[in-house]
Amino acid sequence: MWWLKDVWVIDPSQTLSAPRHVLIKGGQVLEMFASMTEEEVLTIAQGESVETINGEGKFLFPGLIDVHTHLREPGQEEKEDILSGSRAAVRGGFTTILAMANTKPVIDNRALIEFVRMQGERAGYAHVLPIGTVTKGMQGGELVEMADMKAGGAAAFSDDGKNIQNAEVMRLALEYAKITGLPIISHCEDKDLAGEGQMRRGMVSARMGLKGIPASAESVIVARDLLLAEETGGKLHLAHISTTESVDLIRQAKARGVNITAEVNPHHLIFCDEEMGITDTALKVNPPLGSQKDRESLIEGLRDGTLDMIATDHAPHTMAEKSRPFAEAPFGIASLETALSAIWQHLVVPGRLSFERVIEAWSVSPAKRFGLPGGSLKPGAIADMVLFDPDFSEVIDSTQLVSKARNTPFLGKNLQGFPVMVWVEGQLVQKNRTVLGK
Amino acid sequence: MKWQRKDVLAIEDMSVDEIRHILHTAKVMKEILMRPIKKLPTLKGKSVVNLFYEASTRTRTSFEMAGKVLGADTTSIAVAQSSVSKGESLYDTAKTIQAMRADLVIIRHSSSGSAKFLADILDAGVINAGDGQHAHPTQALLDIFTMEEQLGDMNGKKVVIVGDVLHSRVARSNAWCLQKLGVDVTFVGPPTLVPFEMEGLGVKLAHDLDSVLPGADVVMALRLQLERQKSGLFPSLREYSQLYGLTTERLKKTEKQSIILHPGPMNRNVEISDEVADSAQALIERQVTNGVAIRMALIYLLIGGSSNVVA
Repeated sequence: MWWLKDVWVIDPSQTLSAPRHVLIKGGQVLEMFASMTEEEVLTIAQGESVETINGEGKFLFPGLIDVHTHLREPGQEEKEDILSGSRAAVRGGFTTILAMANTKPVIDNRALIEFVRMQGERAGYAHVLPIGTVTKGMQGGELVEMADMKAGGAAAFSDDGKNIQNAEVMRLALEYAKITGLPIISHCEDKDLAGEGQMRRGMVSARMGLKGIPASAESVIVARDLLLAEETGGKLHLAHISTTESVDLIRQAKARGVNITAEVNPHHLIFCDEEMGITDTALKVNPPLGSQKDRESLIEGLRDGTLDMIATDHAPHTMAEKSRPFAEAPFGIASLETALSAIWQHLVVPGRLSFERVIEAWSVSPAKRFGLPGGSLKPGAIADMVLFDPDFSEVIDSTQLVSKARNTPFLGKNLQGFPVMVWVEGQLVQKNRTVLGK
Repeated sequence: MKWQRKDVLAIEDMSVDEIRHILHTAKVMKEILMRPIKKLPTLKGKSVVNLFYEASTRTRTSFEMAGKVLGADTTSIAVAQSSVSKGESLYDTAKTIQAMRADLVIIRHSSSGSAKFLADILDAGVINAGDGQHAHPTQALLDIFTMEEQLGDMNGKKVVIVGDVLHSRVARSNAWCLQKLGVDVTFVGPPTLVPFEMEGLGVKLAHDLDSVLPGADVVMALRLQLERQKSGLFPSLREYSQLYGLTTERLKKTEKQSIILHPGPMNRNVEISDEVADSAQALIERQVTNGVAIRMALIYLLIGGSSNVVA
């Protein structure tokens, strides 16, 4: 049994943000009290040994749930695999991660869904839930066997990495997925508008002579998919929203009651195109970093609930791939290990976002939308949780990262505010920034 | 002034003093170049590597000649026959060149930022001979050198750059260089090739050539990449040429003895008519000669060290 004394609990699922004593037993949250004596704890323990943690000055919250990660297995294990990715997850404070389907081969049938799920179970760190493709071979044509894949453990369907260009296919997917109750996740990118672009189209791309991706490459698909969701009543989730226009469109659709949720990535909340140098491949990401105005719109959208979730879009790549001229390097930022700390330091500390809202958007909302365990510390809830030390500081060092990837813009930089203990189903899996062995 | 740089990658981050220093050095180099016996011992024992990932006749030859006149050993790596065609990355090629102890590497590459990428890896100096659509600093320097040679101080004068500005490293480098020296710069071309975000370079933008020609001291035509038509950026060469081709008739609108520049190679009768290209106003061959002088100056400044041939 665990006794977390005097810890500041943030649990938006019960509108709680206050100091508490928390008892964990048998993989579940047992009880939570405003004050407790050792005698009372021992009585409840009934002879079981009690591990006591002094939580003063620290936060306890439900483990983060990341609905958008690329774990690269099967097929691209040089970048990441399910074991290294799920270790990176718990090091960063994530207890559940959804793995995108654009692996090699793509996850478009039940056998592959079960493979990913079982690799996650074998790894035994974060809960790893597979996302299946929407279309066979991710070719944008015929739909996959959604019901069978759900039975195998699929948490959602997405052709992420590729947009479903054919609007009729997208419409059919939103209709058919109703029998599963699972969301369709849209990649939100018109491939013709995006073209061979390397960064957001604007004055910075013009100056650097890099091909630009106009903001409309995202927002025209957002508009299309919102209309299709409205017409079909299907369950739509919009991935990595990055433009002002998309935020406005989503806000309007929500006001009309359309069944949609949307996510934003940490890097779009923190960086913008003006900060990029011509060799900064660590900041090369898709969708590309937008303008300062976009960044402000995204923060506002996250504050007012237009954007429901934060998700990392953890996209690991090898050093060799990122050590290339900008146009030749792949898109993506590996962020599981740094994202929470970066959001804390860049947005919570300066007062742009409340920590309560961050936890709601990164744990409670994903659990609700995707029907996942976690996202709450109510008595009886699964003990997936994070102890966060706002004073813990660390230089992001390639020798410390447990992901296979090093493609983070924070490499060599100091971040402050880290998860220092992480439990999955009541089992301690990370302590003082070290992922515990099995 | 004392030269401090290891590399010449872009005009954007250069000071006016540095630009002036290069132009001054190039003037001396041009005198040397015009001698009947043009060979100096200045850079004897120095090695210059030409690493050209894009086809180039004039720029590569120009750098080779510049190095040879100064007495350096120049090696050209023909990428098609090298290990690059076996898939070697620029990173590994850079490491290999480093290990051969080259003193200076001249790079041309189709990716924007590749010159800086190489310079960050190498201890040797790097000159950018054109990186993607980003920068072509030696072209901008030879252009301003040519303009000043003909027109004197360019401060307050007007330069019109016509054509596919969006995809042009020549236009970008010229915009930085000319504006630093007080020149009024206008980019003109169809909105698909001169989009509004080019304003970020500080220049004026226009889509009607005839309306911006009056008062132009220099009109520079850019090479039109013919494959742009296929991607829908303009409908036909015919219409492009009607709207933006430089003709004798059209150039009368400048109402002065303007000079005509072109970075080459030209598409005759597309962006520039035969008549204009071969006229006395067009200084296109002079640009080529001055290009050698500019490149001699840069090679000398970067690896000439303590020798004082131009003191």
